[in-house]
This record gives sequence, structure tokens and C-alpha cells, in this order.
Amino acid sequence: MENNNTRVAIIAANGGMFDAYKVFNIATAAAASDKEVGIFFTFEGLNLIHKEAHKNLAMPEGKEHFKEGFEKTNVPSISELLEMAQEMGVKMIGCQMTMDVMNLEKDDFVEGIEVGGAASFIEFAKDADISLTF
Amino acid sequence: MGITANETVDAKGLACPMPIVKTKKAISDLAPGQVMEVQATDKGSTADIKAWAESTGHQYLGTVEEDDVLKHYLRKASDDEVKNEANYDDVIDLQVLRNKVDGLEDVTILDVREQAEYAFNHIPGAINVPLGELENRMDEINTDKEIHVICRTGSRSDLAAQKLSQKGFKIVKNVVPGMAEWDGPTEKSTK
Repeated sequence: MENNNTRVAIIAANGGMFDAYKVFNIATAAAASDKEVGIFFTFEGLNLIHKEAHKNLAMPEGKEHFKEGFEKTNVPSISELLEMAQEMGVKMIGCQMTMDVMNLEKDDFVEGIEVGGAASFIEFAKDADISLTF
Repeated sequence: MGITANETVDAKGLACPMPIVKTKKAISDLAPGQVMEVQATDKGSTADIKAWAESTGHQYLGTVEEDDVLKHYLRKASDDEVKNEANYDDVIDLQVLRNKVDGLEDVTILDVREQAEYAFNHIPGAINVPLGELENRMDEINTDKEIHVICRTGSRSDLAAQKLSQKGFKIVKNVVPGMAEWDGPTEKSTK
């Protein structure tokens, strides 16, 4: 309770399923522990918040057999994790520059995200106690 | 004797970070000082719940394993306990109590923490009557004996000591600070 000023800044720069789990597991766990969490999605990382793409992220090549393990261990889906993260107030920033390069609009992404440039992430991250890149 | 909780969270079959997320959501419905049981099968949850409690300020009581289910016990933090406004004058230092216990004196120790707190860690022979139940269970305590009232930090026991002396208990001592600092012998009664 007294630690709720701890800030966690995450850069999500990759768009595979494993990348998504790394990003959202850490983000939800941190938010559940009363940390202030912000994620900057850039390049392939944008997949993780793309309306359609995030529901069907690819396993790394040759690792497809892990699918069974995911089902057996009852790991929440990326959609569920994304929703939980938003519910708990995780701030999500889509990278404007990458969106322009990929010809994507804000409407192509899930509700509730912000769009900004690198400077808006840096502004958030400058006071971060924990910075992570995935 | 089992462990009593005010609320139970079912996180069985769920993988990380779900037990933490569910715990976080459920604890907001709990009143300060109340106890929550979190049931999980994720083996990492013991370390996670402990760390989560550490970072959110709630109190981790302990974990028991029953039929492959981990039952974690937490107590929601309450601000008033930290303030520690002592009103009851007749206090006894924890170390003095320790000497009595070590000297095998016949001491009556009344532990007024929640049953779940008591279950994981209490002084051998201590009687447990949670502060909230004290009013109705006073007949379980012998009026003529010197009673050492203890809790975690000395503030619930302060209130309990006031109550007892008002009700005619003759010698009532509030043990300060309390179980948080106790390094003498303890026992568990989680079964």
C-alpha cells in the first residue's frame, strides 16, 4: 500500500505469442501489486494490441508443440490478459511512427490505448523504478 | 482445528499471474484486519503470494498444503494498527514475558489475533480469543489469574486489555510490542 508509487516501464518490441506472455504476465503481476505500469508497443510489438492480431499470435518456429502445454496448464489467453491489464489501469501506448510505417490507424487497435511517440514513453519512463524490454 | 478465513478465493487450476490478480481483486472487498484464504495449485504461488503481500503491505500468515491444493492465508492491512495508540497503562515488555516462558512459569497468555494468525505461529500454551469475539467469550478466561494479552503489534491487545479490566479481570498486562517481535518458542495448529 505504501509502495504504490513504484513505476514499471515496459517496451514491447516483438510480436510473437511468447513475447506477448512475457509482456502481459509481468504487466498484470506488477499492476496487481499496486505498481504503476506503462507499456510502449513498437514495431512487431504492435501485434500485441492489434484488434485481430493479438488473438492469434504465432508461436516461434519449431516451438509449436508448446501449444499443448499452454492448454494443459490453463494459462489465460492473451485476450484475457490484455483485458485484465487494462482493467487494472495499465497504460498502453502505441508507437505513432511504427503505425505510420505500417499504415495502421488507432481504430485498428483495442479500445483504451493511447498513441504517442518515443518522447511520451520517455516521459513516463524517466521516473520508472523498473524498466524492461521485450 | 483448521483455519478460519473471512473470504476464500478459488484460484485452483490457474497459472501465473492469475492467483495474484484474483487475490488483488478479492482483497478490496475485505474489511481491514480480515483474513483471506487463497486456494491455488500453481506451485509458484507460495513465493508469489508472499512477495505480493510484501509489496502491497498486507500480512502473509502462511500456507498449508492439503490434497495438492495450496491454501495461502493473508490478513488485510489496517492503518489503525500501525498508529499504535496505547491507552492501557499496565504493559509488560515482551522480553519479560519471554523470561517467564523460558523459566517455565505458569503464565496465562491470551492471544487476541485472528484465528488464522494464531494457527501459524503462537506461543505454546497461549489461548486464542480474537479481539472481535472477546466480548462473547470472556467466560473462557479465568478471572483470578494474571493475564498476559498479546497480539501482533500491541494495539489490538491494548483494546482487549481495556475490555478485560473493565469486566473485572484483576491483573491484566498488555504485552508489547507483540508476536511480530517474538523470537521465543512457538507452535503451529494448522491441522
